[in-house]
Amino acid sequence: MTQKSSGFFNWINTRLPIVNTYERHLSKHPVPKKVNFWYMFGALASVVLIIQIVSGIWLMFGYENTEEGAFASIEYIMRDIEYGWIIRYMHTTGASMFFAVVYLHMFRGLLYGSYHKPRELVWVFGMTIYLVMMAEGFLGYVLPYGQMSYWGAQVIISLFGAIPYIGESLEIWVRGDYYISGATISRFFALHVVALPLILIALVFMHLVALHEVGAGNPEGVDIEKHLDENGVPLDSVPFFPYKVLNALVAIGIFGIVFSIILFFFPEGGGYMLELANFEEANPLSTPEHIAPVWYYSPYYAMLRAVPDKLGGLVVMGAAIAILFVVPWLDRSKAASIRYKGVLSKIAMTVFILSWLMLAWLGTVPVTALRTTLSIIGTIIYFAFFLLMPIYTSIEKTKPVPERL
Amino acid sequence: MKKLFIVIFLFFGSQEIFSAGGAPCGDYGECDSFKPELENIESLQLGALTFINHCYGCHSLKYSRWGRVASDLDIPEEIFSNNLVFGKDVKLGDRMTGSMEPSVSETWFGIAPPDLTLVTRLHGSDWVYTYLRTFYEDSSKPYGVNNMVYPGAAMPNVLASLQGQQILACKDVPMIASNGGVRRDEFGNDITEEKCGYLKTIEDSGSLSVEEFDEVIFNLVNFMTYVGEPSRVDRERMGWYAILFFVVFTALSYLLFREYQKDYH
Ligand code: HEC
Ligand code: HEM
Repeated sequence: MTQKSSGFFNWINTRLPIVNTYERHLSKHPVPKKVNFWYMFGALASVVLIIQIVSGIWLMFGYENTEEGAFASIEYIMRDIEYGWIIRYMHTTGASMFFAVVYLHMFRGLLYGSYHKPRELVWVFGMTIYLVMMAEGFLGYVLPYGQMSYWGAQVIISLFGAIPYIGESLEIWVRGDYYISGATISRFFALHVVALPLILIALVFMHLVALHEVGAGNPEGVDIEKHLDENGVPLDSVPFFPYKVLNALVAIGIFGIVFSIILFFFPEGGGYMLELANFEEANPLSTPEHIAPVWYYSPYYAMLRAVPDKLGGLVVMGAAIAILFVVPWLDRSKAASIRYKGVLSKIAMTVFILSWLMLAWLGTVPVTALRTTLSIIGTIIYFAFFLLMPIYTSIEKTKPVPERL
Repeated sequence: MKKLFIVIFLFFGSQEIFSAGGAPCGDYGECDSFKPELENIESLQLGALTFINHCYGCHSLKYSRWGRVASDLDIPEEIFSNNLVFGKDVKLGDRMTGSMEPSVSETWFGIAPPDLTLVTRLHGSDWVYTYLRTFYEDSSKPYGVNNMVYPGAAMPNVLASLQGQQILACKDVPMIASNGGVRRDEFGNDITEEKCGYLKTIEDSGSLSVEEFDEVIFNLVNFMTYVGEPSRVDRERMGWYAILFFVVFTALSYLLFREYQKDYH
């Protein structure tokens, strides 16, 4: 397998398996030959991860992690550093796009049952990534120390205080002070730029190693490992290089267009990506009339607000995320893909996605009595989708899954 | 199923659910719209002049630097230092930190006049444009003025000598029937009712006409919009190149992709 490599690579490869690894995971890695655009978001998530790391490092050149200097240092980056504004908008647009592509990536998982045997661990690693991303996004949002940074942090950190017995001490421990202060900023900074990115990279690595061990799925839910050629390569697969690389390049090109439109023409994303209240420096004495999270947390924020009791809200929000981890064991269907599942699954999926979108919107607007009712309904639908999954996926009639792709 | 959902959404899509909280411009309702002209250098220059003469005494632009404004607005350094820069010991690289001690102003107004570098991004240029044109006389207030957009604002109407006296007046407006049309009496005349809370400037009480005054405010807010994000013109210009790059990139990779796809289709 390495005969063709030159002497130099051969020398290295007998000491460090770079050629083998490259061939196993990239050049010769077999990928299902027929997948659709939903399968591009993993590659795009990897691209955004790189964008975030690189632009983040550049932001650190100008950012100051102190209570007095944080807000001004962001404006310093925006105005005084050459092209600093591109770096900053790359990072803020990147944060939103990271969640956008990961949400689509996760939705693909639900749609095509990507978490089915043997890809359960791929899903679980994915969920762990999502959890870390949520923490990472929150910590990063506090750093510019605008009004929303401050009051958003206030809301989230105070949730820890709702935990019985240890709550109050935990809250102080997280903040590093009795109120949000420079101590909070500097620890959030350390976590945001060092600790969580390291964990994130390690998890993405595990996610991909686990995926390559079992091979990628496809929208039909066909097991391509059943029909192999004489070399043990699935008949319905093509090597990653050059075929799937080209798929990814097209996707990256389209993504680049969308990313540029947002970055250069709508960097505030209508106030959903950069909240306008954050253009004012944090002021502990003046509470904004309406505290809303950035769009990507909003469905869970709507659930938090739907429950009148703080601890109850925290539990519901936590459970909403926790339940996603066990989806591989809730889905009892013989067919992985929605294409071959029964009508109950299709109804459940439609209702679920509509109510998720409704919750996402509800989380961004001020509360009214009617909206609280809608949030409660949305929350119930959200949980029903998962809790009833073992039932509707096992009683419904599925269509036969084809043998070949 | 989807149809059912559309029906449900339409049902809930009534007024109550989509509008909570006040109007964006307070008692004024919807803000007047403001379209910045960031490449209109003359307007920006005039706006800068108005800001420094009428606002900078109270409000700083502390994230912005004198020299950057001078070069972006094509103002020769000498003219800039002699005519615009506040205070003789100011260097071009300095930030526009204002000329008033915050502690002093706080005792004067009860609240320190906020820094305005980012005010157009915080509230939107529409809001600022409307705010500056909706001061009216109100003897119950310490400065004898109130504001429709920001009722109870602690800021005097600093441009009153230009604008003249603006008051809240009442006028007759057509009555709207329940079908949305204008109500008419049996002779076909519009039925009117008296409504109050309209802004009215008393003619010739200021040195500018309403149109001239609006233009002064337009230039001023145009300048403030520029200060809010000085790189905005660059940003939008570069955006087209970035998009063009990715369009070409997408097209080329698509052609290559199609070529290779023949191998396995
Ligand atoms: C005499 C001092 C003074 C002058 C001169 C002055 N302002 Fe103000 N301004 C204030 C004060 C005080 C406030 C705070 C009002 C409040 O919050 O009640 C304020 C508030 C504002 C606000 C609202 C800011 C916010 O975030 O709520 C804007 C916009 C504003 N001023 C614009 C201007 C402009 C433009 C000029 C020049 C035409 C100007 N001001 C001149 C004292 C002044
Ligand atoms: C940083 C974030 C992530 C990156 C970089 C990433 C990357 C990838 C890549 C490159 C693939 C293969 C290509 C594809 O199928 O799209 C993949 C597959 C997969 N990912 Fe992720 N992922 C991330 C987050 C997640 C999350 C949050 C989940 C869900 C909880 C998830 C679940 C899966 C699953 C189930 C597959 C297998 C799909 C299949 O083979 O059918 N991933 N991921």
